[in-house]
Amino acid sequence: MISFSPTEDQKMMQDSVAQFARATLRPRLREFEAARAIPEDVRKVAHEMGLGLVAVPEALGGAGLGLATAVLLEEELAWGDPAAAFGFGGPGALGFAAQELGTAAQCSQLLAPFAAADGYARFGAVAWGEPRALPERAGLLTVATERDGGWSLTGEKAYVTNADRADVFVVFAQVDPARGWGGLGAFLVKKDNPGLTLKPRATTLGLDVASFGAMTLSDVKVSREDRLQGPAASGSFDAALIRFFAKNALIMAARSVGLSRAAFEVTRDYCDTRVAFGKPIGHFQAVAFTLADRAMDVEAARALVWRAAWLWDSGAPDAEALRSTGYAVSFAHEAAMRCGDDGVQLHGGAGFMRDYPVEKLMRDAKQLQLCGMTAEQADQLAAAVELGRPLDPGAILPSAETQSAFV
Amino acid sequence: MTIEFTLTKRQEDTRAAIHNLAESIIRPQSLAWDRNHGIPHDFLQRIAALAGSLGSLSAAGDLVRQTDSPAEASGKEKKSLNVSTIVGAEELAWGDAGLLLCMPGPGLGGPPVRATGTPEQKERFFGIFKDLSQDIRWGAYALTEPGAGSDVAAIRTSCKKVGNDWVINGRKCYITNGARASWNVVFATIDPTLGRAGHRAFVVEKGTPGFSVGKIEDKMGLRASETAELVFEDCVVPAANLLGGEEAYHTKEGFMTAMKTFDNTRPIVAAMATGIGRAAYEYARDFVKAHYVMTRPIPRYAAIAERLARVGRQLDAARLMSFRAAWLADNGIPNAKEASMCKAMGGQAAIRACVEAIEICGAEGSIQADHQLLEKWFRDIKVYDIFEGTGQIQRIVISKRILTNLKSF
Repeated sequence: MISFSPTEDQKMMQDSVAQFARATLRPRLREFEAARAIPEDVRKVAHEMGLGLVAVPEALGGAGLGLATAVLLEEELAWGDPAAAFGFGGPGALGFAAQELGTAAQCSQLLAPFAAADGYARFGAVAWGEPRALPERAGLLTVATERDGGWSLTGEKAYVTNADRADVFVVFAQVDPARGWGGLGAFLVKKDNPGLTLKPRATTLGLDVASFGAMTLSDVKVSREDRLQGPAASGSFDAALIRFFAKNALIMAARSVGLSRAAFEVTRDYCDTRVAFGKPIGHFQAVAFTLADRAMDVEAARALVWRAAWLWDSGAPDAEALRSTGYAVSFAHEAAMRCGDDGVQLHGGAGFMRDYPVEKLMRDAKQLQLCGMTAEQADQLAAAVELGRPLDPGAILPSAETQSAFV
Repeated sequence: MTIEFTLTKRQEDTRAAIHNLAESIIRPQSLAWDRNHGIPHDFLQRIAALAGSLGSLSAAGDLVRQTDSPAEASGKEKKSLNVSTIVGAEELAWGDAGLLLCMPGPGLGGPPVRATGTPEQKERFFGIFKDLSQDIRWGAYALTEPGAGSDVAAIRTSCKKVGNDWVINGRKCYITNGARASWNVVFATIDPTLGRAGHRAFVVEKGTPGFSVGKIEDKMGLRASETAELVFEDCVVPAANLLGGEEAYHTKEGFMTAMKTFDNTRPIVAAMATGIGRAAYEYARDFVKAHYVMTRPIPRYAAIAERLARVGRQLDAARLMSFRAAWLADNGIPNAKEASMCKAMGGQAAIRACVEAIEICGAEGSIQADHQLLEKWFRDIKVYDIFEGTGQIQRIVISKRILTNLKSF
């Protein structure tokens, strides 16, 4: 049966996260931005609420509440500050990577520390992106070579979210160079691995609370046990890889929904009160219709995100969930950009000033579009499903060959 | 309550039944109906019987049941009647939107009779649709005039109480099924200076002296559907046909109730648009599969994939918005804003779908031929952003509900 009402439990969680967003995140968003981090007291609260492990199954040390609950809560957090969730302790993208690519044992071992009392101070990260494409072959320039019963990784990684905060990384590398994008492998690397050298943190247009970084790998030694092979039960490594990207991108899409709602609301309130030509500017059709269009964006993006999350939770076939996720991700990111852009526009000159939150929302919207998977890639994913084409990581996932994204 | 996106078994069965019918029987005749400006009477009779026997086979069938005898529906069905209706509407429009509009039954005339009619009026005006062995019949809704479209309050068709009767003078235009209808719900005014407070709604029966049919319109699309001009020249209507009786108009509520019916019908119209848009989208997708060698690294292919995805997601979003508006109605939650949102999105998403589909298919997409209905869908869809409230009117409705103290522009 079609139903658009969260459960009572979900509503309670939603309310408490909304309260946290309203009382703590929104009032302090400029403080976080200046600090380029979320302070420890706020991270502690977020950790006590269990926000980093909502969608992780109970068997693997998470709350087991599913993606539907996760997207509800992510929307509320992003409404407060779209950047905040990037700066909370937790596994981040590594959580989904571990779930999709690791065995149950690898996953629970990896995620357990994040549930511990000091989890607010722990971060995970995924090193997927690279600074350049190789002219001579498809695939990643970082190469994994079998050596001494284990693996050695050498190459460069870029666009890594929380690179300088992470205790542990999932690093992607080329295992079989002859097979291009079909020959990838994933490896667990600890931050103290002697072959790993972090580059300085990047300064970005938006979401600077997240620490976007890069690294060099020079003979990074990884044991055989620390390779993530993809669960044998649910198809190939590539299929698991794409599921990981899709689920992580869906969380970003939920943040875009929260951002869109925030931009819409502050702009609506401004148009309700700002008077020009003798009446509130919202009473001019050109302004009101723009707001109406953005209100539709918020509602539609949320419905798409909910449906995609529900499909994953209800065990729908991958193709269905992937198509729906593709639609949700591209729609939500583009909607967020429209909400941010029109938000600044309707504020007029005031929108350009940092006294108002809307210029930050516009910058964050563009940055969010570059996190996880871009709208263009989400479109290629959905179209590949619809056209019955094989899901080729090289065509669908962010890469230096096509378009990079922060993961 | 929970967040859930499955159809009930009954909804799924109905959808599948309509889909099969659309594929095997409706679509093969679609172009002929379009060219002939109508659907043969015996076909409509047969499909109406089928709709009646399957209960909720068609959206129109559901509309009949909804406006006629909702008590007959079981509790669970009633609880999801609006959602069921839009599921049926999308599927039938996927088959042929012209046929959907031609479906016998009270049509858009049903909601105002149900909302404001007295028990006697409901019995009399809905009664004629009950006996399926009788010939098929239609009801219709006549509001628009040559000088009053979106600005409903500006209607000039006049009504004057004379003795125990009312005398109506004026013209109505763009009335779906207006000529063939057994009765039209006709809006008129006792005094144009009163605005909406002066409006009265009458059920004008076919054959009423002074009532005649003017021009039958020649349209861009939906050519199988009858669009009529109605002429009232000293048309005498008995007081018993004043919808709701005189008391209903002592307050402004009378008129507003008639308007509120749009909250239920807009998601249906949005769903019809989504059905046409989906037809165009699927056509383009299958064309790409069949004609393009997608394995070659031709730059245009990635662009086409992106266009398809863009269309697919807009339609998907519009469908979910219609579900939401209908779900709100089923749960007795006010949905005026959401109904307008889905109507605005559905129309535009489906127009984009038809435009993009033709571009993706290239020259072939514009050629009219049997089993090649894309150019027809392109013609059919445009009016979905116009009738039942233009996209601009939907935005006015939404604006009033998101801004403070916005009464009018």
